[in-house]
Amino acid sequence: MSETNVNAASRAARELPSDLQQVGVVAKYDIMKYLRSRRLLGMLIIEAIVLIAITALLATSNNPKTADGVVGQYAGFATILIVIGATLFGGDAIVSEYQGRTGYLLFPNPIKKVSIIVGKFISSVAAMVLILAIYYAIALVAGLVMGNGFSTLGLASLGLAILYGISALAVAFLISSFMKGTAGSLILTFALFFFVLDIISSIMGSLGGIKPWFLVNFAGTSLSYVTTDPYPVDTIQSLDIGAGQSMTFYYFYPDVGLSIAVMAVYAVVALVLAYLIFRRREMSA
Amino acid sequence: MLGDPIVIQSLTKDFNGFRAVDDLSLTVRQGSFLGFLGPNGAGKTTTIKILTNLLSASGGSASLNGIDVVQHPKEALAQVGAVVETPEFYPYLTPNETLAYLGEIRGMSKEDISRRTKVVLETVKMTEWADKRIGKFSKGMKQRVAIAQAMLHEPSVIILDEPTSGLDPRGMYEVREILSELKKQDYTIFMSSHLLNEVQEVCSDVALINRGRLLKTGSVEELLEQASVKRIEVRTIQQMSGELLNSISKIEGVQELRASGENQFMFSLTGKDQEQAQMLLRLQSLGLNVVSYKESGLALESLYMSLIKDSR
Repeated sequence: MSETNVNAASRAARELPSDLQQVGVVAKYDIMKYLRSRRLLGMLIIEAIVLIAITALLATSNNPKTADGVVGQYAGFATILIVIGATLFGGDAIVSEYQGRTGYLLFPNPIKKVSIIVGKFISSVAAMVLILAIYYAIALVAGLVMGNGFSTLGLASLGLAILYGISALAVAFLISSFMKGTAGSLILTFALFFFVLDIISSIMGSLGGIKPWFLVNFAGTSLSYVTTDPYPVDTIQSLDIGAGQSMTFYYFYPDVGLSIAVMAVYAVVALVLAYLIFRRREMSA
Repeated sequence: MLGDPIVIQSLTKDFNGFRAVDDLSLTVRQGSFLGFLGPNGAGKTTTIKILTNLLSASGGSASLNGIDVVQHPKEALAQVGAVVETPEFYPYLTPNETLAYLGEIRGMSKEDISRRTKVVLETVKMTEWADKRIGKFSKGMKQRVAIAQAMLHEPSVIILDEPTSGLDPRGMYEVREILSELKKQDYTIFMSSHLLNEVQEVCSDVALINRGRLLKTGSVEELLEQASVKRIEVRTIQQMSGELLNSISKIEGVQELRASGENQFMFSLTGKDQEQAQMLLRLQSLGLNVVSYKESGLALESLYMSLIKDSR
């Protein structure tokens, strides 16, 4: 058989993988990116610093401890890890293909953009889950050692942390889908979760008396409150500030069920929007 | 395979009011190596980006192996390998891993990927770098890996967008060697370029565009036949003096004469083979000892320049 015939036969025998199979391929090689990049290493170092600091504080404290209380101390910092993780693993996931020109390599292949974005998202979620699993594994062990028991509420917190991580990553993907530069995309993602949404929820909650249940960062705080038993309830306090005037303070806590729904909606809507923008985005530069 | 592998019909692309591709229709025949020529901004890359699903079309259609690339990009690109602009690679992957990634996307088996990776890396002379991460590769090395990935899955069509652009002379030479190798194989190749000598050297067919419109298409031979103005390069034993050049310039048919070395000169000649032979005799009748007398490979340039000029 001539080389020409071999080529033709080989081509004919080969069928394109399904969209789902291609999702797996993209996810596999994107995970390789994290395993070989400094980002995952950097994230693990940050996590190690947080874990050492909290463990040292708890170990030197003489206050009586429960397993849920111990895990709750760790959970309080999990939201920060999630914000950093969403920034590092999702903040430039799409825009980097354009700015880094790797899109010229990937996009002319027979693969739909939906397979690319879902594959990338799965790998980002895997990196986030790895970070959170390590963090909560150490927190639960600390609960066992210092609190003399296993924290089942800690597991609930882990579940909420993963959901918050997924929704934060989806928002990061959305930002990454329309931004033109990687640096801007990373900064915007970090700023949005680190203080912009916090400022908005503070203004609405503390000053306006409006419970910001619909904000994803507010919903995300449920991962910390879920370790407290009983679960805190919304309270309104009036403080007399003299001259016949008083100031009202609002303390709002996210409802767990509603928070799960809010985070799920953010994850789905943000990812769908990211896909729609990504699908229309052209490699014009 | 039935039909022509690349068929572009009334293709149009607008960017915010600017028409980059204007009602372009072009067919690339099976097994040909078509050079897609045009000046910067002519619409070459835009056309290629539409063909490779990097841009959407504003109008018209583009088919690869009979499948509309705008409507069904996944299926249309199945038998296509492409190098568009100078792609960047994932720096954390080696050439072996990059080819495995793209091969898996295309549904190649591990055995197939392993076999073809060896072949294509050998073709582009990158075997010794197969397990080194691409992050530190030079532009020329990346371009060679880019060409390797385009050949990996034994496509029927290869699309190349200015493959020697931005390379140093050595890199350009190496890529041209690879293109010559590709020409010998069973591919239909569509290559954009603004380097006329490159096209004349490796391509069998040519399409000339300017301002997004097709000016001329046909085989290189046909177009050269039509190009009545040739650049002739002559090397002699004698050194070129002002007096000698003056005498040559007075020969009927000699245009745009200039010395191109101590004992070399070039001129334009209007005519075909008969006129070219006559001119040699006239030069020799001046007492010139001609060492070499040849077309400088820029006949295509003459045609190109006249067409570009006419289209303005």
